[in-house]
Amino acid sequence: MAATIPASTTRLRVEKINSYYGESHILRDVSLTIGAGETVALLGRNGVGKTTTLKSIVGWVKPRSGSVTLDGEELVGREMMAIARAGVSLVPEERRIFTNLTVAENLKIAQVTARRPGWSLEHVYEKFPRLRERLTHKGDEISGGEKQMLAIARALLQDVKVLLLDEPTEGLAPLIVREVENVIREIKGAGITTLLVEQNLYSALAVADRCYIIDQGEVKFEGTPQQIRDDADLRQRYLHV
Amino acid sequence: MEALIQALLNGLVQGLIYVAIAVGLTIVFGTLRLVNFAHGAFYAIGAYVGLIVTQHAGLLAGVIAAPIAVAVFAVLLDRVVLQYFYEKTPTAQILVTFGIALVVEESLRLIFGAATQQYPMPPALLGAVSLGIIDYPAYRLLFAGGVLVMIVLVWLFLVRTNYGLIVRAGIRDRIMVQLLGGNIRAASTVVFALGAAVAGLVGAAASPIYSIAPETGFAFLVPSFVVVVVGGLGSFWGAVLGGLLIGELSSITTLVYAPAANVIIYVCMALVLLFRPQGLLGESEVIRQS
Amino acid sequence: MSRGSLFLGDLRFLVLTAVGLALFPLVLHPIGGYAGLATQIVIISVASIAFNLLLGYAGMLSYGQAMFYGGGGYIAAILLLRAMPQHPNLWLAVLGATLVTAVLALLVGAVTVRLYGIYFALLTLAFAQMVYFIVEQAKDWTNGDDGLQSIPNALLPIGPWAIDLQTALPSLDLGPFGNLGDVKLWYVFAAVVLLLVLWFTRALIRSQFGEVLTAIRENEERSVMIGFSAPLYRLAAFAIAGALTGFAGALKAIYDGTVAVESLSIERSGQFVIYTVVGGVQTLFSPVVGTALILYLENILNGKIAYWRLIEGLIFVAVIVFLPRGVLGTLLNRREKATSVFRRALRPRTEEPESLVKPGAEGRRGGVTSIIETFKLGKLFGHFAAVRDVDFKVDPGELRAVIGPNGAGKTTFFNLLSGTIAPSSGTINYKGRDVSRVSGTSRVHLGVAKAFQTASIYPEQTVMQNCRLAALARVQGQFALQVFRRSTRLDAVDAIAERALERLELTEVADVRAGDLSHGDKKRLDIAIALATQPQVLLLDEPVAGMSKDEARKTESLIRRLSTEMTVLVIEHDMEMVMGLSDTITVLHQGTVLATGTPQEIRDDPRVQEAYLGGHTEAELAH
Repeated sequence: MAATIPASTTRLRVEKINSYYGESHILRDVSLTIGAGETVALLGRNGVGKTTTLKSIVGWVKPRSGSVTLDGEELVGREMMAIARAGVSLVPEERRIFTNLTVAENLKIAQVTARRPGWSLEHVYEKFPRLRERLTHKGDEISGGEKQMLAIARALLQDVKVLLLDEPTEGLAPLIVREVENVIREIKGAGITTLLVEQNLYSALAVADRCYIIDQGEVKFEGTPQQIRDDADLRQRYLHV
Repeated sequence: MEALIQALLNGLVQGLIYVAIAVGLTIVFGTLRLVNFAHGAFYAIGAYVGLIVTQHAGLLAGVIAAPIAVAVFAVLLDRVVLQYFYEKTPTAQILVTFGIALVVEESLRLIFGAATQQYPMPPALLGAVSLGIIDYPAYRLLFAGGVLVMIVLVWLFLVRTNYGLIVRAGIRDRIMVQLLGGNIRAASTVVFALGAAVAGLVGAAASPIYSIAPETGFAFLVPSFVVVVVGGLGSFWGAVLGGLLIGELSSITTLVYAPAANVIIYVCMALVLLFRPQGLLGESEVIRQS
Repeated sequence: MSRGSLFLGDLRFLVLTAVGLALFPLVLHPIGGYAGLATQIVIISVASIAFNLLLGYAGMLSYGQAMFYGGGGYIAAILLLRAMPQHPNLWLAVLGATLVTAVLALLVGAVTVRLYGIYFALLTLAFAQMVYFIVEQAKDWTNGDDGLQSIPNALLPIGPWAIDLQTALPSLDLGPFGNLGDVKLWYVFAAVVLLLVLWFTRALIRSQFGEVLTAIRENEERSVMIGFSAPLYRLAAFAIAGALTGFAGALKAIYDGTVAVESLSIERSGQFVIYTVVGGVQTLFSPVVGTALILYLENILNGKIAYWRLIEGLIFVAVIVFLPRGVLGTLLNRREKATSVFRRALRPRTEEPESLVKPGAEGRRGGVTSIIETFKLGKLFGHFAAVRDVDFKVDPGELRAVIGPNGAGKTTFFNLLSGTIAPSSGTINYKGRDVSRVSGTSRVHLGVAKAFQTASIYPEQTVMQNCRLAALARVQGQFALQVFRRSTRLDAVDAIAERALERLELTEVADVRAGDLSHGDKKRLDIAIALATQPQVLLLDEPVAGMSKDEARKTESLIRRLSTEMTVLVIEHDMEMVMGLSDTITVLHQGTVLATGTPQEIRDDPRVQEAYLGGHTEAELAH
C-alpha cells in the first residue's frame, strides 16, 4: 500500500466534468473530492449518472470537459490502462469476472498487470477465505457473492490508491450483502481511499464518511450520512426512500 | 489396408496445415473479434520468403526466416490498416481483409511470377521411413511432428505465460483487462503476430510437400475457415479438432470416391452450421456477435 | 403522392436512363473502350445490381453469388445445346435459367438466411464451392474443365421474326465517338434489359417490400417485435437476387457463346463484391458505376501493365478504407448532406407539449378470465436460472407493475412473455391459448407488443416512418411480397401511425430523424411504435428510466390512459415509482415471484423489504 497520507490531503479531485453518450449529455459539471483514506458514497436513483461518473474517472468514458486529478496529476485524456496503473481501480457493476479463467487465474492476472503489488495472496485469502476454496473453479461456476469478493480481491492485489466500487451489493441475497458490507468495512479499516456507488442507501450510510447525491447528472447534495438520515425531504426528493 | 493407412497419414499432414492456419484465425478472432480473410496471405508470404532464403541458405534457414518476416509484415498490416477495423462490422472486416488478400496475392504474382514453384526437398530427408505396414516419406513425418510440437507450444504460450493469461482474459473481456492495467493492445499485437508467424512457418515448411503459387494462400484460407467454423470460431481446440477432421475426411473421401473429395468439406461445414451453428467446441454466445 | 406524379417520375427515370445507356458505348470510344465492352458491362451490371440488393438493402454479404451466375450460364447453355438444338430460343433458355437459379436460391437461402456476418458469408461460399465441384465433375453434361462452347447466340425470336443480334447498327460516323456501326444489336438488347432491371429494382427498393427489407437491416430486433418475419424477407431478397444473378449469367454465357467453370469460382463471387463495393452500396446506380469503372480500367490496363489485378485490389482496399460509401455513394452523399443540413435548419424546433390533465383510470376491471397467465415458467441460461417457477396471472384491462431489484429476472420474464426468448420450462397462456412455442413475431400479431428498456428504434428513419413500419406490419401481416406497391397506398397505415404519434405527443417531431431525438423522446417513440401494432397487451420495460422528471410524469399519466384501452404490464426497477401507478404489483426476486398485492401490501411485506433493503429494516436508518 502507498504510504498513508494525512486524511486532510485530497487524493482524488473531480472538477466540473461533462460526459456524453453519443449526443446525450449525461454528466453536467460534476465535481467531487475524496481525501486520502476517506470512504465517500455517491448516491442517487437508477440512471442518474453514478456509474458514468466512475467510468469518467477511469477513462472508460472520456469527459468532454473538466478535470480529474489523482494526487494532483491529471487523468483526463489518459488511457484506461494508464489510469489503472496510476492506482485508480474500478470494480465495475457487473463484476466482470473472466468467466473462462479459473479463480486463481483471475487473481493472477491482477498481479501480472499491476504496476506495483498490493495485498499479498495470503492476505487476500485471509480476508476472503471462500476464494481459497474456489481457486480451481471457473469464473462462471461461482456464486454472485463470490464473484463480488473476487472482483474486489483483484483490485486489492494491486497497489490501489483509490478504489471505486460500483454497486457492490447489487443483486445479492441479504446474507451475502452483509458479508460484502463487512468486506467494505475491512477495506475502510485498512485505510484505502474508496468511492462507493450504492443504491442500497442503508449499506452506504453505514460505511461512508461523507456522501454526495447525484440527480439528473448533477451533484445536488454534499454532506454527512447523518444529514441524509435526518433529512426525510432530501431522501424523498432524490432517493425516493 | 495399406491404402487406408496411407490416406490417414496424408489426411493428417493436410489436416495439420489447416490446423496451423486455423489456429491463427481462431485466436485472432477470439482476441480481436477480427475476421481475417487475409490470413491465408501469411501462409503464402511465408512460403515465398522461405523459398528465397532456402535457395541461398538451406531449408532450415528458410523455415526460421519465414515466420519472422511474416510476423513483421503482420504487425505492420495491423498498425497501418487493420486496427481501424476492430470495431467495425464483420462485413466491413471481411471486405477489407479480402481486399488485402487480393493485394498480397497480386503482389506475389508480380514479384515471383504466376508459375507454380516447389522447394527442393532437403537430400537428407528424401527417403521414406518404414512404419511396419507401409513406408512413409520421412519429410512428411518430420513435418507432421513439427507442426504438432508448434501447436503444443502455442497452447503452452496461451496457458502458461503471463502474456497468454492477458490474451485469454482479453478474449472474454477487453475492457476489464484494461481496468486492471493490462496492456491489451500489446497483447493483441503479439497474438496477431504469433498467428501470422505460425501460418508463415507452416507455409515455408510445407512447400517441399505442396507446391506454391500466388493463389495458394487463398486456396488454403477457404478450407481453414471451414475448419474454424466446424471447430467453433474462437476455440483453440476446436480449430485443432476441426483441422484434423477436415483433413482426414477429404483424404478418406479421395480414397473412396475421389470426385466428391472437394465437395465433402463444404457439405461437412453446412451440416455443422445447420445442426450446431456454434461449431463442435464453440460457445453459442459468439455466433450472434458476428 | 398521386399516381400521376408517380407515373411521371417513372417516365423521367426511364427516359434519362435510356438516354444514358444509348450514349454509353459512344462515350466509351474516345477513352479507349469498344462497343463489345459496353455490352459486357451492361450484362454484368445486372448481377452487380442483384448483389447490391443483398448487401446494400438486406445487409447480407453473400460470397456465393457465382453459383447463381455460373449456374444460370450453364442452365442456359445446356438448354440451348441439348434441349433445343434445332430451334434455339434465347427467351426460353434465359427464362429456364432464371427459374432454376431462383429455385436454387430458395433452397440455399432456406438454410442460410438464419445466419449472419461471417457465418452467412462462409455458408454461401460453401454452397458455391459445392456447385462448382459438382459442375466440374458432371462432365457428361458440362464438359468439365473445358466448359461448353458454341452456344447459339445470334437469333432472338420476336413474334414470327427472328432478330439477328450480331447485326450491326447502320454505319454512321460520329467523329470522336466512333462509328454507330460498331455497335451491334446485342448491345441494344442488353441495354433494354438493364433498363428494365434498373426500373424493377428501383420500384422494388421503394416498394413496401423494400421498405421492410431496409427496416430489418437497420434494426432486426425491432422489426421482429413489430411483427415482420425477418427470415422470410431475407429469403425473398436472396431468391430475387439469385434469380437476377442467374438471369445475368445466362445472358453472359449466351453473349459469349461459351461458359466455363470459372464462372462458378470464388474469384467470380469476389468480383461482384468488388464491383459493388467500389461503386458504393445502397444506391441504385452504384453497382453499374462500379462494374463499368473496374471493367473499363481492366480493359485499358490489362495486357498493357502486368499488375492490373494489383491495382484493382488497391482500388478496392482504398475505397473500403477511404470511401466506405463507394465512389458514387460518396458523390451523391456530398450533395445530399448539403441539402439535408439545409432542411434540418428549416425545421421548426418544437417546444415540449404541455402535459395533459390526468384522467382517472380506476374503476374498470370487467374481465373474469385472464389475458396472460404463466404456469411454472422458467428460463435457464447455462446453469443460471434467471426465471424459475413463475406463476403469474393478469386480467384483461389491468395495469400491472412488475418490480424487483436489479438482476431479479424482470427483463428475462418480459422477454419470455413477448416471445423474444423461448422458455426452458413451463407454459405461457395468452387468452387461454398456449403460446409458449409461438414466435415473438406471431405474438405481435396476436396482440402482444413490447417497448424496450433501451429504446429500440430506426435511427435513420423519420419518427413518422418508425411508426408507419409498425402500422404496416399490422396491416399487411408478417410477410407480403409487394415488390411494386408502395406502402403509401395503404391509407390505414398512415392513420394508425398518426394516431400512435398523437398518443405519445410526438406529432410535432414526426418528420425529425429518430436518431436526433432526445433520450426521453426516443423512449416515447419506442412506446409509440409498440402502440402502432395495435396491441391488446402492452409490455413496457422500464418506460421512464433515464427520463427527466417532467418526462417521467407525463409518461406515467400516459400509461394510465393507455391502460383504459388495453392491458398494460410495466417493469420498474424503482419500487416507489410504481406505487402510485398501478393497483396491483408483482415483485420478482432472484427469478421467482416474491409477492403480489396492492401497493400497501407490498410496502408492508417483510420479504419485500428484505429483498430491497438487503436485510436491513427501516429502523436501522434511524440509528
